[in-house]
Amino acid sequence: MQRTLTRQNTIDPLGALLSLIGCAALFLLPFVVFKMNRVVPGTARPLLQILPPWAVFGFYAAMLLVAVIALIFASARARLIASLVGVTVLITMIGVAGDALTPAGNQVVRVSPGAAFWILLLCLGLMTADAITRLRPGPGLRVLFLVLFATVAALVLSSGLLDHLSIMREYQVNAGVFAREARQHVLLALGSVSAAVLVAVPAGILCHRVPRLRAGMLGTLNLIQTIPSIALFGILMVPLGALAAAVPGVATVGIRGIGAAPAVLALFLYSLLPIVANTIVGLGRVSSATVDAARGMGLTAWQILTDVELILAFPVILTGIRIVLVQNIGLVTVAALIGAGGFGTFVFQGISQTAIDLVLLGALPIVALAFSSAVLLDALVEALNRPAR
Amino acid sequence: MVAEILHCLIVSAILVLGAAAPAHAAVVVSSKLSSESTMIGQMIRMLLNAAAIPTVDRTTLGATYVVRKALIVGEIDLYVEYTGNAGFFFNIPADPAWKDLRKGYELGAKLDYQTNHIVWLTPANASNTWALAVRKDVARANHLRTMSDFARWVSTGGNVVLACSAEFANAGTLRSLERTYGFVLRSDQMIVLAGGDTSATVGAAAAQTNGTNMAMVYGTDGNVVAADLLILEDDKHDQPIYAPVPMVREAALKTYPKIAVIVKPLMESFDRDTLQQLNARVQINGESINAVAEDYLKSKHLLQ
Repeated sequence: MQRTLTRQNTIDPLGALLSLIGCAALFLLPFVVFKMNRVVPGTARPLLQILPPWAVFGFYAAMLLVAVIALIFASARARLIASLVGVTVLITMIGVAGDALTPAGNQVVRVSPGAAFWILLLCLGLMTADAITRLRPGPGLRVLFLVLFATVAALVLSSGLLDHLSIMREYQVNAGVFAREARQHVLLALGSVSAAVLVAVPAGILCHRVPRLRAGMLGTLNLIQTIPSIALFGILMVPLGALAAAVPGVATVGIRGIGAAPAVLALFLYSLLPIVANTIVGLGRVSSATVDAARGMGLTAWQILTDVELILAFPVILTGIRIVLVQNIGLVTVAALIGAGGFGTFVFQGISQTAIDLVLLGALPIVALAFSSAVLLDALVEALNRPAR
Repeated sequence: MVAEILHCLIVSAILVLGAAAPAHAAVVVSSKLSSESTMIGQMIRMLLNAAAIPTVDRTTLGATYVVRKALIVGEIDLYVEYTGNAGFFFNIPADPAWKDLRKGYELGAKLDYQTNHIVWLTPANASNTWALAVRKDVARANHLRTMSDFARWVSTGGNVVLACSAEFANAGTLRSLERTYGFVLRSDQMIVLAGGDTSATVGAAAAQTNGTNMAMVYGTDGNVVAADLLILEDDKHDQPIYAPVPMVREAALKTYPKIAVIVKPLMESFDRDTLQQLNARVQINGESINAVAEDYLKSKHLLQ
């Protein structure tokens, strides 16, 4: 009893930091910003001017309660529940504020979440992530959490609660092409990574077997990594365009100077280094005793490679693939400039119209995609690294 | 999904194994990333569809050099370019023809047809080039309508504060205007915004930040409408003309000769104010480009 009490009275350092930042943001920074139209700078609107006092004070009280729990509660479960309740209250509040600020039927004014909203969301997100880490969930449970969050996010977005917020306004205007660009973005990222795996893993095996090749191969791939993405996309347009013009039939299967081909090829080239390097490292970690034992059991060289070495090296190789996938999800953005499509289309259109909400409509899904694939592949790597039970 | 990843794979590995894409007789309508280019592209696509010409929508394809290249190699059939850009395409940006709508159109159309078999259709009578815009109240008080009026006003001690980008101030555009019209802006009459775009310069003029009463703008910029500015007419034709003009591959035009006839009344219906208003609806109000395009076509009775 004594022990639990002392534990409960300890101030949690991360909780203290998050509570401090969150409360400072809540009381000092604008929570919601109102714009007369899409491109003018907005003005902050105090919550008390737009919502009834009970709602505003209820919101403040809820946030403070979460802060107190973050400060003194040690139970990871309580912290998780508190942070999730906090996120729910926060999202509801911004949705309600958006409704209240938008005159009925007005399609021109924009209501955006202010700095306080984003900082609170970040603090609560970190608190959630920290609580989940403290629960030490296995890989399966982490994936389950991800699926749960994604489902709830999809439900909230489709419920209409946030429809009056500026980013959702941009979505409504672009709803017709959003799914197409999303699909294109995912395909470009996955396609280039899959192609890279097919080439890079054999290349890594070759480098492992023939150490003379290693320096030259890694040096070349390193050099490719240093080329800025937009430059590489531009450089590839020339030879691919020439190829399409010179060889009949090439253009009809989609290999042209613009569009998906130079984008996928550039992403493929960027993907090689991490996978080749990790394959070499992974194979190098397989102990020679294991290989000797396999040889002693009468396994052929091919069987040793596929049934022993690659299996043991696979978690390390998968870590390389994870790096590449997350990297490519970000890099695909630039491919919009060379006609490959993807979420980058919204980003660059938004920049050209100086409409920051349109930029966010492209950027936020990219962040979500990269985050989800990182969680999924991390879970997979961990599941593979666990000793079989 | 799996089949598509495989297709990507095939493409990326440059293995010529996949099934050939269907040879399309449809007109592939494209555009740059800008809202004006996209909007006019969508209008043309709607008009072609209404005339029973099949189309494929490849709008917002990419940056200028990408769309241009796509048109030349035949990946797309039609998009809206600007007449003055031909100076850069054919590497003769200093040619005086670009400063005149008619001459620039004729020179560009001739060169593009000879070199690439690309046909320039009817241009709009508007120029999306750099211009100076002044607050309407200041314009009224000082009788400003043209750049010549402006030069007279500056030279007689007019109280000018111009917001512009560093590119505009330093890359010769301002110097060229000063030489042609015979005025000089002192550094204290300018607020140079590093990397400033027109929404920043127009914003400064609208809010009268630090006494700003003029802004660097683009001719058909939607911002100009929202901020109630007046664009000073380039009466001595100092700046190149960037008139929107649909460009189409000769092959597509031969298949559907009607395209030229269909596009003509649309392009003739545009002038600077019309384009500003339409751009403002997309850029400022955030209306959907397709909705604005359809609405405009109906209001002009080009579409039923």
